[in-house]
Amino acid sequence: MNEFTIEIVKYLKLSEASVRQGLNHELYVNLAGYEFRNTMELLSKEFSLIAVFCAQNFNGHDGFTLFYAFEQKGRYEIVVFQRPLNSLQATSVADLFPSASWYEREISDGFGIEFTDAFDKRRLFLHEVYPPDFHPLLKAFRNHPIETRNDIMPEQEYRFNDFTGEGVYQIPVGPVHAGIIEPGHFRFSVIGETIFNLEIRMFYKHRGVEKLAEGKTPLECVPVAESISGDETAANATAFCDAVEKISGIDVPPRAWHLRTVFLELERIYSHLGDMAGMITDVAYPVGASNFYILREEILRQNSAITGSRFLKNIIAIGGLKHDVALGALEGLLKYLKGFPARLKDALDLAYRSPWVIDRLETTGVIEKRLIDPLHITGPAARASGIDTDTRIDHPYGIYSHLPLQKHVLEKGDVMCRFAVKAAEILDSVQIVNDLIEGIKQGKVFESTRVRDGYALGVMESPRGQIMHWVYIKNGLIDRYKVRTASYCNWRAIEHAVQGNIVPDFPLINKSLNLSYAGTDL
Amino acid sequence: MFKQFQKIFQPKLSEVYKDADFEKFGVRLKHSISSVFGRSLAVRELDSGSDNATEIELVNLTTPYYDIERFGVTFVASPRHADVLVITGAVTHNMEIAVRKTYEAMPNPKLVIAVGDDACDGGIWKNTYAVNSGAERVIPVDIKIPGNPPTPREIMLGLLALMEYIKKKKNP
Repeated sequence: MNEFTIEIVKYLKLSEASVRQGLNHELYVNLAGYEFRNTMELLSKEFSLIAVFCAQNFNGHDGFTLFYAFEQKGRYEIVVFQRPLNSLQATSVADLFPSASWYEREISDGFGIEFTDAFDKRRLFLHEVYPPDFHPLLKAFRNHPIETRNDIMPEQEYRFNDFTGEGVYQIPVGPVHAGIIEPGHFRFSVIGETIFNLEIRMFYKHRGVEKLAEGKTPLECVPVAESISGDETAANATAFCDAVEKISGIDVPPRAWHLRTVFLELERIYSHLGDMAGMITDVAYPVGASNFYILREEILRQNSAITGSRFLKNIIAIGGLKHDVALGALEGLLKYLKGFPARLKDALDLAYRSPWVIDRLETTGVIEKRLIDPLHITGPAARASGIDTDTRIDHPYGIYSHLPLQKHVLEKGDVMCRFAVKAAEILDSVQIVNDLIEGIKQGKVFESTRVRDGYALGVMESPRGQIMHWVYIKNGLIDRYKVRTASYCNWRAIEHAVQGNIVPDFPLINKSLNLSYAGTDL
Repeated sequence: MFKQFQKIFQPKLSEVYKDADFEKFGVRLKHSISSVFGRSLAVRELDSGSDNATEIELVNLTTPYYDIERFGVTFVASPRHADVLVITGAVTHNMEIAVRKTYEAMPNPKLVIAVGDDACDGGIWKNTYAVNSGAERVIPVDIKIPGNPPTPREIMLGLLALMEYIKKKKNP
């Protein structure tokens, strides 16, 4: 029993027997029904809720088990509280952790568990077309096409929260938007031109990622992880593979981790470049945006040259990489990156020297610091609001503990800060990729071992922030796969960031976070 | 300020970042759009459940390296302005109604291109509870561009193929 385990047992007044060490630096704590509420109240003071998820027939427990994953500032370990249920009812913790509301609604949809005292019991990822008593994540349901409803009565329609009062009117937007972007519904309550409230309804793109994974071998599941979100392929594939590797005790060769890190940072570079181009486009300055788009296209081409895929697909594998990267391609990338920082600085100069850009970016879409923790807002969005969080540094994985990383933290939390944080992170990532390639050693990139049964967490930093994968393998097959992307958390931030802003600034605020709809809807 | 003026008199970025192969097919695309639609082709993009990489490639078509507007292709904001609907993603149940409504809002001839493996036949999502098969199940599809995701060049070649297909249909 290590120091931290002893400390947490003392802090939460638990018995030592209820705590056990996980496989990927996580700690599992069994919680009995009577200590649940007290523990959660204690946790709400110092811990941040990473995710809540559920599994059926976990580790011999006949029925459902709820999992609550937490992190604490300055702690490397992640604590997962495990609560076995004896019925189809559970108590809600959404009053303590506002971010729990979506997780609980998600579990209600997936498993049919009712959170008795929850303040919001509407369905989440199952829209009206799904039959009322349909729960796809139950083991009794075998994945196959189902009959959907096409005669939806007005009273069966999803109810948005009511906002009424003198001069308040509603603007419904979506799911199909005007630009080339993903679908989602935004319900604005507006006074004049000012946004009074925004309610976001997501999950139009619900493809059933978690159920699709069930019954597949971990090997077959890698393409599923890659397709969670097209622009976060490397991050999601690595997090999934890392969890499986930890379960199976596979030591990934150093060269493979080096190259994975190169991919992860390239992904951050092109993703941030796209966000920045989008922000400048949305202030109606296409010339300024072009420079960022040009750089992004060039990075996508470099991706293709080193891995064969512009989106880094089909290269990361359980045990390392599917194939090695040619020396020539790496040298090409190194040569290309030499001129990159100067060109990025030129592009930034053009934006920063344009008063109309600054005018739109500054003071727009502020995410208040006090919201970061309760909503578990993560990634550049949190860092731009004065919180120094970065999973690469807080819970290092792979070779990140050996890299000279720094957190770029700004205080104001507006669009401008998010723009600046992303710009700084691109330059850092370029330096990291550069150093990694210069220092890379020859060696194998794949370690083959048999996959073992068990369960583990994979928590990493994608370009948009912290992602969490939890994998449970039973009889060599995936029995439960839970994914929580950074976008899932950060959507709630947008609802708050737009309040008091004018409607025409919404696209800009939305772009400043540039969240993945696919990664949220799963 | 001086820099801004300099920018204006610089050659167009699409000239600087010219890609010979892409240009060749672009010019062909422009000719065939001219002969089929008069001047330009209005495209409306509709995401019905892709993994969002296809959207990125479609946006890339409008950026300086490709700048497909030169060849007469414009992305429009409403299906009511569209000649072609580009659908990406196997249609999820939650998007089905929106997809039907978008298709119905289009003027004739209501051309549809399915872009990406998911839209073509459902991809890895085929026969699951949230997705049955490709876009064809919900709306008629004229041409399919497979890929995970297809590159901007492949998407442009798909548009060219669609124009040739209409030409053949007009004058068999």
